[in-house]
Parts: sequence; structure tokens; C-alpha cells
Amino acid sequence: MLMALKDWSIFLIPLLITVGLLYGMLFWTFYVSVSNWYGTAPNYQFAGFKWYKLMFSMDRFWTDFENNLKWLLIGVLPTLFVALLIAYLLELSNRKKLEFYIRTLILYPSAMSFIVTGTIWSWMYQPDRGVINTILDGIGLDVFKSRFTTDPKTATYWLIVIFIWQFLGLAVIILQSSFRSSELQEIIESALVDGASRMRILFQIIVPNIRGGMLILASLLLISALKVFDIVYIVTFGGPGYSTDVLAFFMFIATFQQHLVALGAGLSIIIFLMAFVIVVPYTIYAFRRWFA
Amino acid sequence: MTKNKGVQIAFFVVLVILSVAYLLPIYVMLVTSLKTPYEITQRMYLLPSLNPRFGNYVEAFQKIYPSLMNSLIISGTVTGLATFVGGLGGYYLSRSRSRFSKVLFVLVGITLYLPYQAVLIPLVQIAAKTGMALTHFGMIFSYSVLNVPLASVLMGTFFLSVPRELEEAAQADGANKLQIFFRVVSPVSLPGYASTAIMIFTQVWNEFLLALTLSTPKTTTVQVKLAEIKGSFVALYNIQMAAALIGVIIPLLLFLFLGRYFIRGILAGALKG
Repeated sequence: MLMALKDWSIFLIPLLITVGLLYGMLFWTFYVSVSNWYGTAPNYQFAGFKWYKLMFSMDRFWTDFENNLKWLLIGVLPTLFVALLIAYLLELSNRKKLEFYIRTLILYPSAMSFIVTGTIWSWMYQPDRGVINTILDGIGLDVFKSRFTTDPKTATYWLIVIFIWQFLGLAVIILQSSFRSSELQEIIESALVDGASRMRILFQIIVPNIRGGMLILASLLLISALKVFDIVYIVTFGGPGYSTDVLAFFMFIATFQQHLVALGAGLSIIIFLMAFVIVVPYTIYAFRRWFA
Repeated sequence: MTKNKGVQIAFFVVLVILSVAYLLPIYVMLVTSLKTPYEITQRMYLLPSLNPRFGNYVEAFQKIYPSLMNSLIISGTVTGLATFVGGLGGYYLSRSRSRFSKVLFVLVGITLYLPYQAVLIPLVQIAAKTGMALTHFGMIFSYSVLNVPLASVLMGTFFLSVPRELEEAAQADGANKLQIFFRVVSPVSLPGYASTAIMIFTQVWNEFLLALTLSTPKTTTVQVKLAEIKGSFVALYNIQMAAALIGVIIPLLLFLFLGRYFIRGILAGALKG
């Protein structure tokens, strides 16, 4: 075994160093979270779970946690569902040129940063002078006018809309590729001959056939929704009040503005644990395919 | 497949909805970027400016030029480093079936989409203590470490689809692993390298959290600068939009002209080689 590894040493060493660094830093973060570090200078004096206790007693933490769950649920399920319908429709309609147009159209946001999309959408959403409300006024549909991200009750949902807008194209592309590897066309043809409706074919035949692709896509979307920080920072900065705050944003504020570094590290560990839960099924699935 | 009427109607309805949802924001952005502040107060957001003011772009470019260069240096270097190291590591993971390789794969898999928060405090400490924070190295180092796992898996996914016969033939001729990798496998995997490089470049170019915490006035990246412009020029939407468009042009060109590689990169991220 060691001889075999020696042959591979040049391939392995840089990767091992990187992975070692990442896990080392992860442990380091955990160590900070049980230290007593507040203020700008590092202080590694052991404090047990003091900062975790404080964290769990904070209203802000639970508001954030709830918002994170909203992001995970509403950011991911509708995206999956709509992407599935669009991808299926593209396959059924069989219009190659328009399909290329649609794919390009919905995929371009994947190349843009959340900062840029956030900048555009802030202005779309702006309540008094923003684009959407102005257009609604102009065409006499002012009953649909909204305060968007300035209404604490709905602000998070409007932020999630930006996320869906940005990730829809990616989801469609991945699903289409899953369709292709499952010989979809023939399956649909024969099911249609048997008289099955198109919706039944989608949900009873195709979806079970592409479970793997759906799992990977769901994991990618979940992890992106969990990590979301930029959209909140650029569009609402967590406001109004704490209404759009999420754990990733609180971590930034706690660590770098309030200098409660141990608390920030604790929040990081919570975020990591949530990510871990999402990534494990992904890793198991990837592992099976990789070493098949 | 036969064309069904209901399907075709649904198709065109979706076509129109998506066109509005995805063209409107970019259209408004373009039109606004050419307006005068007075024209913006007129609230005719859908109408283009009567005399487009290209000076907005000059002004925006002057504001973000240094940060564009910083982003180019950082993203470019990280892309090169991470893709190279990822190629080496990915080749090992795709060829070795040993237990060590399996354990390593799981360890890499968990860090693949690691939330940056999990290592942010240590990275800031390392960059500060070593003085790397003062130069581009702080961010180059951090992004490289964070992107090597993804680069390894992406490259490995591409290597898995390279037929082994080539390697076996080279091995029979007495070539060692390094020679095989550089002379046989890498040349046929250039599209894979291109896809991985585009993915990493776009990701680093667009990253905000790490850039925000690590950047110093001399190393500010374009995303941080755009956020700053949005924060401080609340009313000047035209400059904001022009700056955002300049900031997005490089990844957008990569997407438009190398779309095939871009999409293959996304699919490789979903483990479809």
C-alpha cells in the first residue's frame, strides 16, 4: 500500500495539504467557538459551551434559524418543481431553436454574482420608485403593488424569489441532462401509446427514473440556499429589523462588527452542521457512482 | 415525437413568461445605465434614453478599474492553481481504487461545498498573522484552498470518462504515472480543464463574503466595490447599473462564447461527466 502511494505522491501531496488545511481550520473554528474570544485580540481561554448557551437564548438566533428553514424549503422545492415542468416541456415540445434560446435566457444569471443580481432586483423592488411598482401603476394594475423587501412580513420571500430566479436555469440544465441519460423519449412514446396522460408520465415514470439526478440537484440547491449571504447583505442588510437575517449574515455581523468572535465561530459551526446533513447523502451517492 | 397542441400552447406561454422575467431586469439595467439622473426621475423605466450618456460608463469604469484588476489577478491565479492541483488530485481519485482513495474521496466530498463561514475566522487570522492580507496573496491562498476540492472532483469526473486503453498502452511502453498524466491523459482532457477553469474563475470572481472580510483598500475585489457603490450612491442608479454591467462582463462573455464548457462544468458539478 505504501509503495502504491509513493507512486502517486506528486498527485496526492497538494490535495492532501489542502484537505488537511481545511479540516484543520474547521477544527480551529470549533476551538474558537468554545473559547472566550471577544474583542479584536485573539483569546483562546477555554470557556466551554458558554457562547452556545448565549446563542440558543437569543431571539435573533431563532429568527435566523426560521429564516434559514424558509430559504431551504421555499428556495428549493418550488425551484425543483418549476424546473421539472420546464425541462419536461422543452423535451415534449421538440423545438430545438427555441429551446436553445430558453436555455440561454434562463442560464445567464448563473454567470452573474448575487451582488449584481441583488443590485438589479433592489431596484426592481424599490417601493416608491422601483421598476415593478412603476410598471404596475402604468398599466393600471396598482392593486398588485407591493412593499416587497421593505415589508418585514414578506421581505424574506421576496429575497428568495431572487434566488429562484438565479438558480432556475441551472436546475433545468441538470434535469434535462438526467432526462437524456434515462432514454426518456422512448419511455414517453410507449407510455403515450398506452394512453397515459403526460402529467402521469412525468410524475409516475420519469421522476422515479431520475431520482439520482434529483438528489444531486436538490443537494446543490439546498447548500446554495443555506450559504446565502450576499443577497441579504446587498438587498436588505438583514432588515427591516432582523426580519431577513439569516445565520450566515448574523455570523458576519457577530464576528466582524460586534467582535463576538466566539459567538461567530459557534454560528459557523451550526451552519457547518446543517451543511453536513445536506452534503452526506450527496457524498454517499457520489461515492457509489465514482467507485462503481 | 408528434406535436401535441396543448403542449405547444403551454410551450409558448412559458416562453413569454420566461422572456419577460429574464429579459426585463437586464433590459432595464442596460437602458438605465445610459440615462441622465434627470431622466431617471422621470420614471419612464422602459423607454431608452433619447440621448444615451456613454459617459456613465467612463465614470463607472474609473470607479471600479482598480478593483477589476484586483479581481482579475486573484481569480486568474486561483483558477490556474486550483485547476492544476485539482487535475493532479482528481486523477488520483479517478484511478486509484484503494481504501485510502475512498477515504480521501469522502473527506473531499464533505469539503466540496463547505460554507466559507466554517473556515473564515482562521483564514482571516492566517492572512493577518503572515502579512498575506496586505497583498493579493491572502485571497489567492484562501480561494485556492477552498476551491481545490471542487476542482479535484470536477477534473476527476472528466478523467473517469477518458478510456483506459490509452494509459495501458503508455504503461506497457514503460511510461510512469507522471508521464502518462501529462503526455497522455491531460492532452485529451483539455475540454475538461477548460470547463473546470471556467467554473472556478466564475465562482471566485463572483464571491463576496471572503472578499469582504479579507480585502484591504489595495486588494478590494470588484464585488466588494460594487456593493460599496450601491451603498453610497443610493440615488445614482445609472452609475450603479453601468458599474454592475462592467463587473459582470467577463463571466458573461465566458458564458456566451464558451457556453458549452460552462454547461459541461455545471453538469460535472452534478457528477455528469
